[in-house]
Amino acid sequence: MRALAFLAAALLAAATPSWAPAWAGDATRGAALAEARNCGACHGANGISPVPLMPSLAGQQAEFLLVQLIMFREGLRPVPAMVEPARGLTDAEIEDLAAFYAALPSGPAATDPRNEALATRGAELSAARNCGTCHRPDYSGQAQVPRINHQREDFLVHTLAEYRDNLRVGMDTQMNGVMHGLTNADIRAIAHYLAHR
Amino acid sequence: MNPHIVPALASAALLLAPGLALAQAAPPPAWAQGRSPEMANSTLAPHAGRLTVTPPDQLPTAQLRVPEGFQVELWAHGLPGARVMVRGPNGTVFVGTRGIGRVYAVREEGNERRVSTFMQGLQQPSGLAIRDGALYISAINRMLRVDNVEQNLSNPQPVDLTSAFNLPEAPHHGWTHIAFGPDGRLYVPRGVPCNICDTDGERYALIASFNPDGTDRRIEARGVRNSVGFDFHPRTGQLWFSNHGRDWAGNDNPSDTLHVNLRRGEHHGFPWCASGWQDPAVSGRLCSEFPPPALILGPHVAPIGTHFYTGTAFPERYRNALFIANRGSWNRERLAGYEVVVVREEEGGRLVQEPFLTGFRDDANQRFLGRPAGVLTMPDGSMLVSDEQNGAIFRISYRR
Repeated sequence: MRALAFLAAALLAAATPSWAPAWAGDATRGAALAEARNCGACHGANGISPVPLMPSLAGQQAEFLLVQLIMFREGLRPVPAMVEPARGLTDAEIEDLAAFYAALPSGPAATDPRNEALATRGAELSAARNCGTCHRPDYSGQAQVPRINHQREDFLVHTLAEYRDNLRVGMDTQMNGVMHGLTNADIRAIAHYLAHR
Repeated sequence: MNPHIVPALASAALLLAPGLALAQAAPPPAWAQGRSPEMANSTLAPHAGRLTVTPPDQLPTAQLRVPEGFQVELWAHGLPGARVMVRGPNGTVFVGTRGIGRVYAVREEGNERRVSTFMQGLQQPSGLAIRDGALYISAINRMLRVDNVEQNLSNPQPVDLTSAFNLPEAPHHGWTHIAFGPDGRLYVPRGVPCNICDTDGERYALIASFNPDGTDRRIEARGVRNSVGFDFHPRTGQLWFSNHGRDWAGNDNPSDTLHVNLRRGEHHGFPWCASGWQDPAVSGRLCSEFPPPALILGPHVAPIGTHFYTGTAFPERYRNALFIANRGSWNRERLAGYEVVVVREEEGGRLVQEPFLTGFRDDANQRFLGRPAGVLTMPDGSMLVSDEQNGAIFRISYRR
């Protein structure tokens, strides 16, 4: 696991040449902590969520995980299900959890049938908003910008609507701007497209 | 309060998605508006801030450089996101942040310097000001006041002035720097809710001033895209402010700028003109209609702390000089900024800028070791500089 974490850190550094993160979470400690806090009950033992509306975390960007855990701990992202799990986490524990989930291989694309018309519409919407600039053309994310492929479609629908409705704010305000004015049908199309890549 | 995106700017998105009926109502993310065709496939994106504690042995203290005769040392650490700093009359240094939502208090207790989280859970509390023992805190769309703040460090009971100030609701560029002017009024800028747009100039792209209770709003400067640092000249009282130029117009245009506001309500050019550069994305007015900036700071350098040195411990040439912390670029292929510069007036009134605190930018490897953000003069004439990336504060002093 340590080797995997090292690999993840190396890849992270390659993707973001400008800032060499000095932090080094320990994926082994993170695995133990994830077990102790029962993260897998919702997010899946291997980080691939089997639970409706719960996000998969496997292969997620470490810095994104880190920022979200801090926002949960600080009460800046109000998700009732995360209040208890995030309570009292130290910075080091958060770094370990981030390293653990970042090092797990991300899940496969959704296996339910792909609706071509819906996916095409989603692809158009994604291109129009330059989603691939920050999230990268393959939607694997970079640094604090999350991986949005290999994610549950229902969670993507849920979280994109939260951004649109200003129920969720990130480290900055970019996603609220990008989602402004999209309809529920648009969101379903984007989520379907991303989940089936 | 949706800004009207300049049609030419939205056209790239429209071309990519013919039949996208909602495109006009749904602007691309603020940082991606106004992108030139050659930058359409750029992967430049804002750098991730670090929100966890950076241990002292990982700080770039040893890499930092100051002019001869000066020393730089670590003053405080363990304040993730440390950005703006103000000092209370009893010596508490308050430190504002953005993403982590905290305001810290740093106190000397005996021989120890202690950092505590004074408030938390705020949306980007990046503006702090002190007056009559009260701390004013601006977060996105909010204004709070904590009376007798240094007597209430463990149990602050803020007075909510949000409705009195009635700040615009759009969150983008809604994090503000605030400061009291020599006229006793609270100066509150409001950036534009976009990268480049023709927006409501009565609400956005301005620096306003208010009575401390939020009444009697007055527009002091117009056409200011996003100022997150300003100060008042120690002798003239004039408002000097730095300003961020827009993104996605290229590596070298426009530059970020320093301005002096000579008349109340003066217009400084946004969205038509930035750093003497006529923005091709917007038509209607010419650069020649606006006063030129006092100084061109450099492309994408991102000036934050903009602070006149009012101490006497530094050599004569630095008295009343303006120190600017350039937090550093993201929308540029090679890094720019990541240093504190000093702007001095030469004989004849010409302004020159020189590097003052350097070493955060590693040119050879195109990486950065920290991001200077806030600047504060201390009573002993030393200077504090915050590093937002590392959550640390450095102290610079002079020894003859």
